[in-house]
Amino acid sequence: MDATVEQHRGAKRRSDLGRSDRRSGYLMLLPALLIIGAITIFPILYSMYMSLNHVTLTQNGYLMSFNAGANYNILLHSPVYWYSVEFTVMYAVVTVIVELVLGLLIALAINNVQRLKNISLVIMLVPWALITVISAQMWGYIYNGVYGVLNYLLQSMHIIQAPITWLGTSSSAIIAMMVADVWKTTPFVVIILLGGLQMIPEEYYEAAYMDGANRWQSFWKVTLPLLRGSIALAGLFRILQAFGVFDLPFVLTGGGPGNATQSLAILGYQILFQDLQFGRGSAIAVSTVILVLVVCLVFLSAFRSIVKGGDA
Amino acid sequence: MKKLHKGATFAVAMLGLGSLVAGCGTNTGSNQASAPAPTTTTSTSKTVNFSNASGTIVWAAPPITHTGLRNTLIAEFEKQYPKIKVVLQNQSNSTNTNSASLSTAIGGGSSTPDVYMGDVIWPAQFAHAQLALPLSTILPSSFWSRFTNGLVQGATYKGQIYAAPFFADSGFLYYRKDLLQKAHLPVPTTWAQLKQEAQQLQKQGLVKYGFVWQGASYEGLTCDFTEYLADAGGSVLNAQGQPTIDSSQALKALTFMRGLITSGVSPNSEDTFKESQSMAVFDQGNAAFLRNWTYAWANSQNPSDSQVVGKVGVTVLPSFNGGSGYSSVGGWNLYVNPHSKNVAADLAFINWMTGKQAQTTLAVKYSELPTNASVATDPATQNASPVFKLTSKMHFVSRPDQTPNYPQISQALYSNVNAALSGTVSPSKALQDAQQQMKQAVSTSGGL
Repeated sequence: MDATVEQHRGAKRRSDLGRSDRRSGYLMLLPALLIIGAITIFPILYSMYMSLNHVTLTQNGYLMSFNAGANYNILLHSPVYWYSVEFTVMYAVVTVIVELVLGLLIALAINNVQRLKNISLVIMLVPWALITVISAQMWGYIYNGVYGVLNYLLQSMHIIQAPITWLGTSSSAIIAMMVADVWKTTPFVVIILLGGLQMIPEEYYEAAYMDGANRWQSFWKVTLPLLRGSIALAGLFRILQAFGVFDLPFVLTGGGPGNATQSLAILGYQILFQDLQFGRGSAIAVSTVILVLVVCLVFLSAFRSIVKGGDA
Repeated sequence: MKKLHKGATFAVAMLGLGSLVAGCGTNTGSNQASAPAPTTTTSTSKTVNFSNASGTIVWAAPPITHTGLRNTLIAEFEKQYPKIKVVLQNQSNSTNTNSASLSTAIGGGSSTPDVYMGDVIWPAQFAHAQLALPLSTILPSSFWSRFTNGLVQGATYKGQIYAAPFFADSGFLYYRKDLLQKAHLPVPTTWAQLKQEAQQLQKQGLVKYGFVWQGASYEGLTCDFTEYLADAGGSVLNAQGQPTIDSSQALKALTFMRGLITSGVSPNSEDTFKESQSMAVFDQGNAAFLRNWTYAWANSQNPSDSQVVGKVGVTVLPSFNGGSGYSSVGGWNLYVNPHSKNVAADLAFINWMTGKQAQTTLAVKYSELPTNASVATDPATQNASPVFKLTSKMHFVSRPDQTPNYPQISQALYSNVNAALSGTVSPSKALQDAQQQMKQAVSTSGGL
């Protein structure tokens, strides 16, 4: 850890390069920065601008009239919007926690087997490699209330008597969607954590063993602290994706039943592209960005304090 | 008919066999009055002569009947107009997804697709957002006389015609005549009778489910619900364009629909069914009754998809008090992209597609209701499908689609009705929520 801290300090130190050298350096960076600006910064700023306007679609493009915070005001007073926020936050928190725990367990297991490491990695990767639209359709068949495989299995094992409509009631649809998400994205967490695990030098475990630590202690004192960077990385990626979840509910439930599985992205899509309310839809997008930033900051600071507590 | 508010519905009545007459309500909702008028930049242009059109155009259309209808029509058209080539752009079967992808492409200024097949509920919204060319400015008024009365009015928004009616559609009751015969039951004419007969057939072990329809959270549920609602004497919006969905009539309709599920007449998963799912259950022989559109006839008689060929009867939808119930008006129009670079070829295509040859193919081969009046009244057409002979007996109800806010109104309707069907909320709470959301949709603050 000390080495990385030193590197960090080194980067902050004033460069020995001369002024003209620095200027030509910036010039060389310019094309890349322009491209990044054009494809990421501009759309973000533009949708922020749109979110502050009443936007009408015309034959010659958008017609904007500034309406200050009217779009946001509508959002704040909309129960449909607040339900979407609630659902998305709940969905993200539950799936990310389950995936991190499950992913860590699987990564530890795979890291400890010698013979079938590669094959188990490949098998793990299959769900992650499948396109979500296709895997969501597949889960749709599994959950189907009339000819679904899940009902068939449970019925033939006499666990349930009559077929259950998994996607037809709100609580079971939400759980069904979470299961499909965990199935698909846990492998991603496994890959990241496995990478982290393999970077931990064997000597640390030997040293811990010499000091008389049992496996449980060496997991808490060696593995987990050294893995925290990887866990934070996997967690952040998952939070970002979970907040933008669109394809899974779009195919699996269409946001239903009612609007039980209507994530912020689904709601934004509906307002933007079905209702053609571009101002309001952009306001949903911008509010989602702010929400994600806040959640990521909370996650990082909470995570830091938890792991530090474990360190001491 | 008198029960229906004028502004909320545009009622349609069938006069002759297959001749559709739509009386469009005078919708003067405040929401519409306050909406900015679309700038009709093309209103000064003259009619376009398309007799010598040439080039390539792109036609965007969802798979209508899944049986090769689109390519058959394109091939016939290209034979007639060898100088024009039509490229088919496949669209989503879901009307919501279809409209989203088209409005993204055209709103973004894309010149393709040149011609697109769009739902009959789109003219107001698409005209308002200038996603469709006002065809009445470039086609002579004589062009529109070929269509069955009322259809053109449905494609009109603020005095301009935005689309050419391509084929009409409506809801029907399909039933298993072999099962009814076996149990010595008559064809039901009331909803209560349908429910009771279905239960009897289920009890005797003749069939797994009684009645399947469209209950998923999407536009199709708005159609199904509107039928029960009109039959119960209710409406979605009143003449002033204000929501009237929190009514005792709507409660009667919704309570009955939910009762179909709780009584086991309809499967538990009914609230996830779109057309294809409900038709699959029926075609597999697992349901006694099916509510579906015109094309379900052809589909149920296709041996490769259906195990009930020759066992199916079709009739008008039942009602609460006997007599024929109400059927939603659906169907598809042909629209032109305002950015299209080859309007002459677009018009030649639309002219042919709504002409005798294409409309006869549509009706005879694919059992879709033709919009061309001379084809619709032709006895040869009427014999093509038993569905066509029913249209004179039917009562029609339209969705309140004469306002650009229709998508939000429909969303408020189908998502809350779907929540009640799933048992998440009570029917009365669902209607209160729908009323609340519709109020926001029609007020100046718009949807959400």
